[in-house]
Amino acid sequence: MSKTDQQRRTILKGAISASTLALVAASGLIVPQRLLAHWPTDAFNSETVEDALLSLVGQAEIASDKALNFKVGSPPSYAVNGASVPVAIESNLENIERIAVLVEKNPFPLAMSFDLTPAAILPFKSMIKIREDSQVIAIIRAEGKLYKTSRFVEVDIGGCG
Amino acid sequence: MGLVSKDRIRAKLKKGNTSVRLLLAHPMHTGRAKNKEGVLIPAEFIQDIRCWRNEEEVLTIKCGTATARNPYFSFQLVGGESNDLIEIRWVDNMGAKGLTETRVK
Repeated sequence: MSKTDQQRRTILKGAISASTLALVAASGLIVPQRLLAHWPTDAFNSETVEDALLSLVGQAEIASDKALNFKVGSPPSYAVNGASVPVAIESNLENIERIAVLVEKNPFPLAMSFDLTPAAILPFKSMIKIREDSQVIAIIRAEGKLYKTSRFVEVDIGGCG
Repeated sequence: MGLVSKDRIRAKLKKGNTSVRLLLAHPMHTGRAKNKEGVLIPAEFIQDIRCWRNEEEVLTIKCGTATARNPYFSFQLVGGESNDLIEIRWVDNMGAKGLTETRVK
């Protein structure tokens, strides 16, 4: 084996172990975590809506947004205090597997995700934090299809401080 | 922390379905806020909430830091009878756990 070949191998090896390490670190295995077996760390730590959706609901065609009735804020589209903004999701879809709520301008957009069994039905209500005026997105995955809708919300006092 | 806070849960029959309302007592620190001395408050937030009805798991909620302080949830369960046991368990990122339960009215 020539000397350059040998060098190339060492470099390759180094590169592989470095990238593996980076991967392991990114997946959170090095950070001490307890009881997080089912918490989708990747999705919640994504900093863009696209990344969060990709790791949470996967890739699928977005079918329609008509099937989804989504309300944010009270009165709708407005919130005095971004630290607790009511959200309500209502839909006539059947066999809903998962619902996700995302706030586009939040540092980590994914706010919450619900996994429904056939025994649980909508409407679903909760409260979220919104940092600044932003689009709030609701996504439902039902029977392999995605249904997405969004609302723009104005916030007086940001809620992620 | 003068008040001892408690998780609250109500479950009621409405038009044949069970309506559950849930209020958990939790500060939900995002890890980005500072206290009065300007020191960052470490992240502490509920990550996983599970709901059982009579030993059957019916709903899982995963929360990120963007869930409001003292999280409130309201959802419906198909059918149900009065005196069904509704049980909620939650776990936060520090490993703290909570359990709260009620009977359907």
